[in-house]
This record gives sequence, structure tokens and C-alpha cells, in this order.
Amino acid sequence: MKSFWIVLMMTAALAAPCVFAQTAPYAPQRTPEGLPDLEGIWQPQTNGAAYSILPHPPGFLLGAGSKVGIVEGGVLPYQPWAAERVKYRLEHMETDPTGKCHYEGVPHSLYFAFQIFETPTEIALVHENMHAYRVIHMQGQHPKDYQAWMGDSRGRWEGNTLVVDVTNNNDKSVFDMAGHFHSDALHVVERFTPVSRDLIQYEATLDDPKVFTRPWKVKFSFKRANADYQIMEAGCFEGERDQTHIVEGLAKIPDHYEQKLNTEPGVAPSPAPGAAGKK
Amino acid sequence: MFDRRIALFLTAVWAFSTLLAAQAPVPYKAPRTVDGKPDLQGIWMTRNAASFDVSEVADGRQIPYLPEALEREQKGDRVDPIAHCSMPGVPRITYMPFPIQILERPGYVVFLYEYQHDHRIVQTNARPHLEDIDFYLGDNVGHWEGETLVIDVTNLNDKTWLDSARHTHSDQLHVVERYTRTGADTIAYEATIEDPKTYSRPWKISMPLHRITEPGFELREQECMEGDSGRAIHPPYRPAAKY
Repeated sequence: MKSFWIVLMMTAALAAPCVFAQTAPYAPQRTPEGLPDLEGIWQPQTNGAAYSILPHPPGFLLGAGSKVGIVEGGVLPYQPWAAERVKYRLEHMETDPTGKCHYEGVPHSLYFAFQIFETPTEIALVHENMHAYRVIHMQGQHPKDYQAWMGDSRGRWEGNTLVVDVTNNNDKSVFDMAGHFHSDALHVVERFTPVSRDLIQYEATLDDPKVFTRPWKVKFSFKRANADYQIMEAGCFEGERDQTHIVEGLAKIPDHYEQKLNTEPGVAPSPAPGAAGKK
Repeated sequence: MFDRRIALFLTAVWAFSTLLAAQAPVPYKAPRTVDGKPDLQGIWMTRNAASFDVSEVADGRQIPYLPEALEREQKGDRVDPIAHCSMPGVPRITYMPFPIQILERPGYVVFLYEYQHDHRIVQTNARPHLEDIDFYLGDNVGHWEGETLVIDVTNLNDKTWLDSARHTHSDQLHVVERYTRTGADTIAYEATIEDPKTYSRPWKISMPLHRITEPGFELREQECMEGDSGRAIHPPYRPAAKY
């Protein structure tokens, strides 16, 4: 009987931390002002989203390739006319605004390292790429009659999750280099959830009724950078030659590059836009 | 008798000095941030035309050019580099006629410039400067001297001008900036400019930064677009955010 109790207690002692780890969500450190602490330098783990947010094979233009991408389900629900336009944009890489060093927009700007500075009223995301920054206002409302490459961000805390509502987007920023575009009706709801000291889970729901048939989601994470990492100056200005390189690289898109742009009933899947490279 | 005269004299000196001390302005002490540093946070802007001609805010209204530097300047490019949408350099970024938001966190002061969405992340740990690399906005190393934020800026390239009047510098430029709160809505800004390849001695510029006190005022996006460079130099009138 005595040994039964010992075994029971030992089992309980062993099991308790496991149960605890499974049920209790990670409780992040607090800033001096008592808010969940997201500060630090973060390196996104994006499955090559800068090249394409959809699954894509490796290639010069498409980087190392990814079997999953960042879009949930691996499908972008473009309206038929918009799917055609994606193909056109992929054939005309000179239409990519990042080649002219423009702001990348949301979530595109989050594919590269950035630093978070967090005050109770403003959370600044200072990006290295395109020397961009975004201020997430924790107060006020979206302005009227205002459009911006990075939109207008209003945030709030839901427990330890930072929820950001992004509107006022212009129709010029893009999601990646694979021609995936949106309109000025784009509405993004982002969720930044710290899951450990060194990892933030990022999820965004994107809604754009002018271009897509339904809202869709992207998901990736940010890993804390090494202690000696520093955000540097990225001087991308007029006169960059990226555009030329992109257009040259176009011919190198693998022929078998297929992206699932539409699976809505009654709409045929788009043919491989990579075939354009053969022209 | 002699002692009484000395005593009277000393009393008079004491009384006079007390009176002086009472009248001397007490230096402004800024509110403090969470980690006890002077609070420079808010949205600020200069109100001058230094971006068009920096000599206007220079000590003695003179820039001590070396003769060879003047000659170099005459032969150089005649188009203001910011017309190509490049970053305006330090200290020019401070007196571009656009708002600046300052954020402070323990160990950091962050400058978000509306102009060209430029930014400077300043660590206040007085770390050594980086080596073998240069930037448009330099390598910024900060430290606090009492009420004053001091930023030592080196590693600047020679591609920027100090203003659109073609006052240039070399890659030897070294700028020491000082930010001191002088009131609820003012910061005294001072920069010492040193460049042994261009100037015969270090020289100084100074100007106030004024807080934008309009309720609800926020930075807006200012994107310098290819073929749209004129607007970067001559900003359009922008009414404040309205809700």
C-alpha cells in the first residue's frame, strides 16, 4: 500500500509539469509599463514568401523554394479576372514596385528582419528592408481620405496577443515577387502571439472583396535574432538595378511552376504562368 | 571698525548674490521616462529654412571651408542628392521641414522621420563605432549627459549635402548632436560638425525643435516616388489628421 502511494505521487510529480505545459499558455515577460513584451529584433521564418507566398519550386527568381508557402491551404482565392492579372504581372516583372524600392506593405514588410519598440500608445516596427517603419497606434481611429503603401495600423491587446487592424492600404503594394496583388479594399487583421521567449507566432486574415472571393489567411513566425544582431541602414533608392535583374531572371522561372490561384466552383485552375518565360 | 566694514561688505555680497541666484533662470528639468531618463518623446519639427541654406543656423553664419574643399564643391554635382530620393544625411535629416517622432525605450532612443520614412535607432550604451562600413545616416552611438542626449555620428558617406545650397562634406564627416529639453514643448538641438578634409575647424549649428501640440497629430507616410522627386523637396501642404 505504501509503495502504491509512492508510485502515485511520483507519477503525479512527473505528470504535473507535462499537463501544465500543455494547458497553460506561455506568459511573456512584461514591459516596465506592464504590457506583454514583444520588444527585440525578430527574424521571420517565411518559407520564401518574399518570392511567392504560395508553394513554389526552387529557382533563381523563386529562391530556395517551399512546399508549403505561408498561405493557409496553399490556395489564393482570386476572382477570375484577378487570376488573369496575376499571370500578366508575373510575365511583366517590371510592374513589381519593390524593384523600384517602394514600401512593401503589410504583410510583405514582415518577411525581413525588424525591431519592435513598444510604448503603451505606439508600437513601432522598424524594418531593415526598404528602410521602412510602421507605427501601430494603440489609440485613435483609422483616418479618412488617406491611403498608404503600409496602410494605417490600429492595435489592441487580446490577452498576450497583439491584434492589429490594417486599413487605408493603397492598391500599389504587392504580397511577393510572383505577381500576387490586391486592391485598395484590402483589410488585414494581424495577430502577434508570443509563444516562447524567442518566438512570436504571426497570423493574418486578409480580406479584399474587390479581388478575392473570400478572406484567406497567412501564417508564419518570428524568431528572436542573435544578441549581436543589429538593424542596419538599407539604402534602396532610385537608380537600383534590381528591376533589370528581375526581368533577366524571368526566363529562369521553371516551366513546371504552378500556383493554385483559384479553386472556386466553376472556375478552371489557372495554367502555369511560368510558361510565360518561354516566350 | 575695520572688522565691521568687512562684515558689512560680506553681508552686502551675500545679499546681492542671493538676489542674483533667485533671479537666475532655473534650468528646465525634463519629465522622466520609465527608466529615469529625460523624456524626449513626442512629435517634433524645426521651423527654419536650414535645409535650403544651413549657414543660416551656423555659428557666426559662416562655414569655415578649406580652399580646396570650395574648389571641389564648385566642380561637383549640381543636383541636390535628395532629388534622387536618397536619404538626406546627418544633420540635414533633423532640419528637413517634416515632423520627427522620438520614441524612448530602456537603452534606446528611436527617431522616426516622416521625411522619406527614414529612421535612426540609437543605442545609448556608448558602444564603439562600427568599422569598414558607411551609411547615409551614419553609425549612431548615444549616451546621456545629465539632461542631454548626446549622439556621436560617424561612418557617414560623402554622398549627401548639408542643404540644397550645395554645402558639401567628405566621408571624414563627424557629427556630435546634442538634444536637451528646454521646456514642455521645446528641445534645443545642437550639432558640432567636423571634417578635416572640408573645414578648417569644427563648427556648430543650433536650432530649437518644436513639439507639434495639435491633438491627434500622427506621422503620415511620405514615399519618395520615382519621377516625383519635386515633391520631396517642396512638400505639399498637409493638413493634420482629423477624426
